[in-house]
Amino acid sequence: MNMCLKVVRYHLAQRVMYVAAPWAALAFVFAVNLIIAAVTAPSQDPTKALAVIYVCFFALGILSIGRSLPFGLALGVSRRSYYAGTALFAVALAAADGLALTLLQALERATGRGWGVHLGFFRVSYIFAGPWYLTWLTSFTGLALLFVYGMWFGIVYRRWDIFGLLAFLAAQVTVVLVGAAWHSIGHFFTALSAAGLTGVLAALAAVLLAGGFATIRRITV
Amino acid sequence: MTPAISVAGLTRRYRGQLALDDVTFDIEGASITGLLGRNGAGKTTLLRIIAAQEFASAGRVRVLGASPVQSDAIAGRVVLIREDQTFPELRVCQVLRVASLFYPNWSAELAEALLADFDLPPNRRVRKLSRGMRSAVGMVIGLAARAEVTLFDEPYAGLDPVARQIFYDRLLADYAVHPRTVLISTHLIDEIAGLLERMVVIDRGAIVLDAAADDLRGSVTSVRGPALAVQEFAAGRHTCGRRQLASQESVVVIGALAALDLARARALRLSLEPLSLQQVVIHAAGRPETDVRDRTSA
Repeated sequence: MNMCLKVVRYHLAQRVMYVAAPWAALAFVFAVNLIIAAVTAPSQDPTKALAVIYVCFFALGILSIGRSLPFGLALGVSRRSYYAGTALFAVALAAADGLALTLLQALERATGRGWGVHLGFFRVSYIFAGPWYLTWLTSFTGLALLFVYGMWFGIVYRRWDIFGLLAFLAAQVTVVLVGAAWHSIGHFFTALSAAGLTGVLAALAAVLLAGGFATIRRITV
Repeated sequence: MTPAISVAGLTRRYRGQLALDDVTFDIEGASITGLLGRNGAGKTTLLRIIAAQEFASAGRVRVLGASPVQSDAIAGRVVLIREDQTFPELRVCQVLRVASLFYPNWSAELAEALLADFDLPPNRRVRKLSRGMRSAVGMVIGLAARAEVTLFDEPYAGLDPVARQIFYDRLLADYAVHPRTVLISTHLIDEIAGLLERMVVIDRGAIVLDAAADDLRGSVTSVRGPALAVQEFAAGRHTCGRRQLASQESVVVIGALAALDLARARALRLSLEPLSLQQVVIHAAGRPETDVRDRTSA
């Protein structure tokens, strides 16, 4: 069996964490929002609480390196295979969970009046307001992006500790500020469609994936 | 034949510290080698570099004929569970199942038997285990993997003597049926001496002694007596660990002594004492004469 697939199976041994944890968090937040929507006046605004699953994916990305990488290397897995296997796992998990989010959005639409209480939980204006396949594609891309981003954080922390992490954050803030100061870039983003944004996110995910790979190559455990 | 482990001129520098200094040795085929030395001597760093967990600053490392850092060159063929191994958030049985994925020669029966031997609770989370039990998990993985190159880094930290004896017995029994290259770093030299075929002693990052255990057994002698007599007796011999206290001197002579030598020692009124492997290591890894002197008087 291919080494990458073995790494995927290694992560699957922790499936309770990877699969159950984000959905438990989302279910809890959903329940809270459902109750709030039921007792308050109907609102047109989506809750945006859907973000919690993305935050969970970021955390899972960090955890997929943290304690798991040293044991993987102890078993003789190369850094390259570990990284490729983990990224493959991230993409598969994001695709599956993105599909589940799409189904839940369809369900929310089917209930009419948002679960009967005017709750817009899985429908978020602008970004998750298009046809089902765009919802799936955007959810998938977003989840994969956050996971890969978390992986890079985990790798930077393993390699350079807390000061490396701070420098890493500072570098990102600098990049964003420079980008924001550039007038044409700001204009590019304001004119972007939801589908276009998904494309940008996918490109960003690819950049993060490459950055993480460059960082893990000389990591020591 | 390609050596299982081949290290040449291996140097590892950390900021302001030389962890390994021009280390060179080869281990051919199946054998059990002890990697001995004091804390901080460089044992773990050496093992980590062999297992590709760390990178060398200079020098050449080959494991089973290939560079260990090459992609998946050692996958399924080398195992190193460290003394301070970080385990994922999993139960004992899950950790073993994960390890079994990566080793084609993995023996589930052996793992099962060892689990019972060490009284390890299969459903307990590894992080919740005591230090000794976590060491036992490492031993189970190291043995059941049946990897061609099996590296142990102080495998029994925190383990009781009964469990250690089980480890020695199991290692020897399994090694007899499935010979492989075993490299063990440890401080409990007398305990493991019977198992070792070769001893590599490192101190301050450099190899100070590398010999077949049989050559050292019973052929290393501590010679003590009046300084002049000791110097006369030791002249031209391979010695180490010379210590002087007032007019008395002691020195360790390496190499078997013939009947003639014994007679001469008697005539010179020297006292001879054969050293155990542990004492040999203490002498080998001890500091050179200059700074040993103040320690002997202490």
